[in-house]
Amino acid sequence: MSQKKYGIVLDAKKCLNCKACTVACKFENGVEVGDEQYRIWVAEKELRGTYPTLSLDFEPSQCQHCENTPCATVCPTSATYKTDEGVVLIDYKKCIICKACMTACPYDARFVSEVHHAIEKCTFCYHRLPEGREPACVETCPTKVRVFGDLNDPSSKAAKLVAENDTYRLKPEKNTRPRLFYIK
Amino acid sequence: MSSHAHAEEKKGIVAALKGLITYNKDIPVLPLVFLGLVLAGIGALTAVIVLWKGHEQMYAVNREIPWGMLIGTYAYFVITSTGLAFIGGLGHAFGFENFAKISRRIVVLATFVLLAGFTQILMEIGHPIRMVIWMMLSPNLKAPILWMGIFYSIELVILALELIIVFKAHPTAKDHKMGAILGFLALVVGTLATSNLGFVFGSLTARPWFHGIHFSTFLVISGITAGAGLLMLVHNIVYKFNVPAELNKTMNALAKLMGGGIGMMMFLYLWKFLTAIFNEPVEEYQAAMALISGPLALNFWVGEMLLAVIIPLVILVTAKGDTKRYGIAGLVFMIGLYFTRVNYIVAGQMPTMRPATDGSGVSAGLDGLAMYSPSIAEWGIFLLGIGTALVLYFAAEKFLDLKTPEHH
Repeated sequence: MSQKKYGIVLDAKKCLNCKACTVACKFENGVEVGDEQYRIWVAEKELRGTYPTLSLDFEPSQCQHCENTPCATVCPTSATYKTDEGVVLIDYKKCIICKACMTACPYDARFVSEVHHAIEKCTFCYHRLPEGREPACVETCPTKVRVFGDLNDPSSKAAKLVAENDTYRLKPEKNTRPRLFYIK
Repeated sequence: MSSHAHAEEKKGIVAALKGLITYNKDIPVLPLVFLGLVLAGIGALTAVIVLWKGHEQMYAVNREIPWGMLIGTYAYFVITSTGLAFIGGLGHAFGFENFAKISRRIVVLATFVLLAGFTQILMEIGHPIRMVIWMMLSPNLKAPILWMGIFYSIELVILALELIIVFKAHPTAKDHKMGAILGFLALVVGTLATSNLGFVFGSLTARPWFHGIHFSTFLVISGITAGAGLLMLVHNIVYKFNVPAELNKTMNALAKLMGGGIGMMMFLYLWKFLTAIFNEPVEEYQAAMALISGPLALNFWVGEMLLAVIIPLVILVTAKGDTKRYGIAGLVFMIGLYFTRVNYIVAGQMPTMRPATDGSGVSAGLDGLAMYSPSIAEWGIFLLGIGTALVLYFAAEKFLDLKTPEHH
């Protein structure tokens, strides 16, 4: 069993909403064009302040690679599974498109892929990791919003960011224990 | 076994099967068989187009609402089937003679309604063949959908075995005992199947409207209610709204069961809605309000409340033993119950998992709720289910003897 625990730490304050990450993700993973087909997204938060003193924040996000994984527990054919490093993946050939995982995901991170004829979602670009490359969204970001790394390795940048900053995770009330940490 | 004995036995089976086939000229259901054929034909054509073009092109379910009308239709049929099996079990295994008297109809109806349900799930699931293969090779024992498949498959086998028993021309004491065992098993497995179908929804912590025990309970209760309603409707159709006096007690018992069922549904509605709106727990509240005053309000008040609760209950209470009225109550209830099934499933998915802000990718209306309206193809597959049930059951009424021989 690997001792690695991959995760991403995000500093959303750095986000320019350039959406380079979403484009890179689509190119890297061959995600089809379409409003419903996307692995990652950059959501606008509510506009704050009063004119002329206004500010707008963004929340880049994706599959949270939860430790407590509701999409995997409902999958009848074990098509959704977790690697030793905690990355949640889908074995496309086992996916029957019952869509239970889509209803079980509290983050709306999954969709039906017409390319794979299966459910699809972020994989942390798992195919790039053996080459020592980071996920496409991480690599392409001009302001380095996302930092990917082994959260179990205290010397990794990601682990250090979690240790040194006050962070939060999305929908903690669902007890999914995401591997995505947002710096406050 | 010698080849001679084997041939004799084969002959016996063929003779027994031939003996089952008849033509009931007094049962006026041929128009329903033809109607069923037309509907099933439209449905089959739709199915071919869907398989050709792909679900994504043909169905209106979407990223926000991935389960729509077909899941609702599936639930409508299979839960009604297990409700019928429950009533059959009461007759076979628990000595409710009023229900044992109509056991042939119960078992045949339960079987064909279950098969109609299977048409829906086969057209809903993206890869039905893969499903069979990988559920066996790589099952996830934690997944409620796996158990749904297992329980409903076992239920179909039990019903098939029950069919063999109930159609025996001269049942022996051993057959009666076997019938009781099978009836009991159909009741237990059917209840497990349906409550587990409730858990397919109830296990979803992401969807507060679904999460919890409510759906498991509600489905079992409303399924038995539907079974009673459908049996009263079918008997009225078969006997031209003039059910013979010998079945009056049976009809009265079914009416009581249905009335009690609606009463229990009202009780469950009351507490489900109170807990959903009391102090406005965000997503649950949104789902409840989508039904009460939102996009699903018409379906909820007219379809669900009026047709599946108020009108049938009023008819039953005022029927005073009039079996015609029981039939009408059954018909109205079965129409309303369809709304009940679809409403519940759609409402639970309408609160979006993320706010539909720019860039979020989430598609929602101005009220912040996800949107869904069934496509023509989904209606077509719905017709496949209705048509299948009509053809199979009413052809059985026309060409088999579904009148249960004097019991015991």
